[in-house]
Amino acid sequence: MFEEPYRWMEAVSTRHSYVQEKLKLGQPVLSVPFDEGVLVMGFSPQPGKVFEIYDRIALGGVGHPADVERLRMTLLEMAHLEGFNRSAQDVTLARLLQFGIAPALKQNFEEIQRAPYIIRLLLAELDHDCNPTFFRINYDGHWETFKSGTVIAGNEKVMDWIQQEIQNLPFATFTLDKALEEVCRLWVESKKQQEEEKDFPQTLKEAFDQWVLEGAVLLGKVERRAIYRALTKEEIEKLKSSVG
Amino acid sequence: MSFQSDSKGSPGDFFDLLERSGYRWQARIDPAQTQKDFAVTQGTTVLAFHFEGGVIVAGDRRATAGNSIMYEHCDKVIPIDDYSLMAIAGVPATAFEMARILTHNFEFFRRSQMQSMSGEGKIRALSRLLKENVSMAVQGLGGVSPIFATYDLRARKPSIHFYDMLGADFQIRTHTATGSGSPTIRGILEHEDLWGEKPLAQRPESSAVTLAIRLLQTAAQFDSATGKARPEDKIFPTIAIITEAGYRFMNDQELADICKTSLQR
Repeated sequence: MFEEPYRWMEAVSTRHSYVQEKLKLGQPVLSVPFDEGVLVMGFSPQPGKVFEIYDRIALGGVGHPADVERLRMTLLEMAHLEGFNRSAQDVTLARLLQFGIAPALKQNFEEIQRAPYIIRLLLAELDHDCNPTFFRINYDGHWETFKSGTVIAGNEKVMDWIQQEIQNLPFATFTLDKALEEVCRLWVESKKQQEEEKDFPQTLKEAFDQWVLEGAVLLGKVERRAIYRALTKEEIEKLKSSVG
Repeated sequence: MSFQSDSKGSPGDFFDLLERSGYRWQARIDPAQTQKDFAVTQGTTVLAFHFEGGVIVAGDRRATAGNSIMYEHCDKVIPIDDYSLMAIAGVPATAFEMARILTHNFEFFRRSQMQSMSGEGKIRALSRLLKENVSMAVQGLGGVSPIFATYDLRARKPSIHFYDMLGADFQIRTHTATGSGSPTIRGILEHEDLWGEKPLAQRPESSAVTLAIRLLQTAAQFDSATGKARPEDKIFPTIAIITEAGYRFMNDQELADICKTSLQR
């Protein structure tokens, strides 16, 4: 059936449509720099959007939870084996993506007999000089690098709109509180970009009431080797009262 | 590269992952090489005891090979995770490898399972490594006799464990010491605990640190494989504290100040 090139291309194209349709309602995960590090956050009906991968690497995921989990475990295993066999300093996101999951995702996507991964991932890294780098990787293995922050979302229109807004704001100069307020504002305003999800929370109050805010930071000025920490209850309560 | 294989091992176990990736923990036992009378090489002194605010773990800095002093800056108290330290006596190559595996094991578990490993799980993990190492120990090549100290976040209390070379762990209620210099100071620790100004577990941090430095200096007086503090050369013992906030190593400046007062006669 796939011996003709056109059939194969048609099948790949159908897979794109299939995955994009499945991803469509995926809620945004945003990652931006702030004056002491990197923030990653997102709202969702249940936890499972923001994770720690290695000492200086955080992950955000949109898509099927089982696929996000499988790729999270793959990244964890690769990072920890590399850190053990060589050094923690050799564990970098560029290497994990370029030589690790990106080629495997592409191969998986183009092997049309196999089920595609329904995912879009965001990865953030703060290097030892406190310079952040942000990556976005698609279900087909395509990945992009950003300096000033990035976002993933199921809806590409929403994703592009938030990405544009992130680039227009000086997040790297903001405090954590200010960065949190601004990403929440972007999250609410992005709701105007899509029509399909009228049943979902449209305001921050609704989001805080009905969903979970998951967030974490990579902090540059800590003495510990692992610089990832989840947002505290106090930080989330403070945010609630300032934006609510 | 392929995506993660389905593990049949224990979820979140880094040692399983290592073995799946082709890593092999040293050679298995070779009966022809087994020594009937073997002794662990232990040119060192490390100690740990409970004090009022947590536990203190300390060690000298000397590494020896036979009668030769090879190195005076050896770190024998090794951080494993934010709440755990391992103090090593025995063959350094094996001890450092165990520490590296444990570090990755605890962090891999915490990140993959999204919860910290229990205190009991951490203690068991070191037992397992020691058990894996029995063949090397009985061949006289890789014996390790460690002290493991951790703060159990669930039980909300610190604990100290001493291990034998076969992997049995013994929870220490008051104090322990291991290495070639330890016989000298174990008696002093017991004496201080029973008849000192206060039991060790009731002493403040400053008093505990002073005692630890003096004990290591005493051990060095009688054991050539234990290095003395030499403030003039900026060589200080390693002193670390574990409390509910995690571990903290004392820096050189702090140790220089403490040595100045505590080693005065």
